[in-house]
Amino acid sequence: MKTLEEIENLSIEELEQQAVREAAPVPDGLQERLRQTLAAREIADAARPRPARWIPYASLAVAAAAAAVIALPQRGPKDTFDDPRLAYAEVEKVFRTISDKMNDGLEIAREAGSAAELPQNVLNKIQTK
Amino acid sequence: MKRIFTLFAALLLTFTAFAQSGKSIYQKYSDADDVSAVYISPSMFKLIGKIPNIEYEDGSVNLSPLIRTLSGMYILNSENPAINASLRNDVERFIKSGNYDLLLEAKHDGEAVRMYTMGSEKTVNGFVMLAADGDELTFICIDGQMPRDQLEKAMIEMQDFY
Repeated sequence: MKTLEEIENLSIEELEQQAVREAAPVPDGLQERLRQTLAAREIADAARPRPARWIPYASLAVAAAAAAVIALPQRGPKDTFDDPRLAYAEVEKVFRTISDKMNDGLEIAREAGSAAELPQNVLNKIQTK
Repeated sequence: MKRIFTLFAALLLTFTAFAQSGKSIYQKYSDADDVSAVYISPSMFKLIGKIPNIEYEDGSVNLSPLIRTLSGMYILNSENPAINASLRNDVERFIKSGNYDLLLEAKHDGEAVRMYTMGSEKTVNGFVMLAADGDELTFICIDGQMPRDQLEKAMIEMQDFY
């Protein structure tokens, strides 16, 4: 039996010769076990879901759509007025419309408020009598 | 293949939802029948702000300071019942997706008005009004950086004047 130091001092050729001379016996059934392991791995690989083929195409489509949205110039609507004075008049008209509608809403709220106060007034009158 | 179509449909819906804005609504309906449309661009607002002497009637409200803060105005007035239904749906979707708060809602004698604002306590970044009166539907959308107090002041002054 050689020591570890002696083995380390051996050259590659000597090591190869030693290995050939003292060939280790192959354990019983090793070949069968290897075959079974390989077959089992093959089955497991087949069962594992493969990356879907459509993913690269879909990714491309998403990238293209995003690029189109970003890159295409956003065309805005055309100005209705060329004359700023006319535009100002329109803005004034719009604010007047908004103001009128707001006033209508507040008027309804005021009316609702007065109606809501009516029962309270009646109750107050009864209590004071 | 089916999955690709599904993905495309989802993608399209996403982009459509993102695209919902005053501008996109205006572009969708401005050329429709029985619809009148007015658009005032940011450039036009800048021009209005540069007019040296806007003639105001006596006591009329000077909107110039407020106008300088505006960046877009979209107005649609539809008398087309088919368009009205679709326009109303689009505006509601736009309101929901745009973080708008209901400012006022009033219904009276078949007339319904809703006003929404978006922004902070001090600044209004967006104002939307949807008013229905019989077969007529009006959509007004104003974008800008309007100081809230200035906007409210203008509204009150206009009520007093007109």
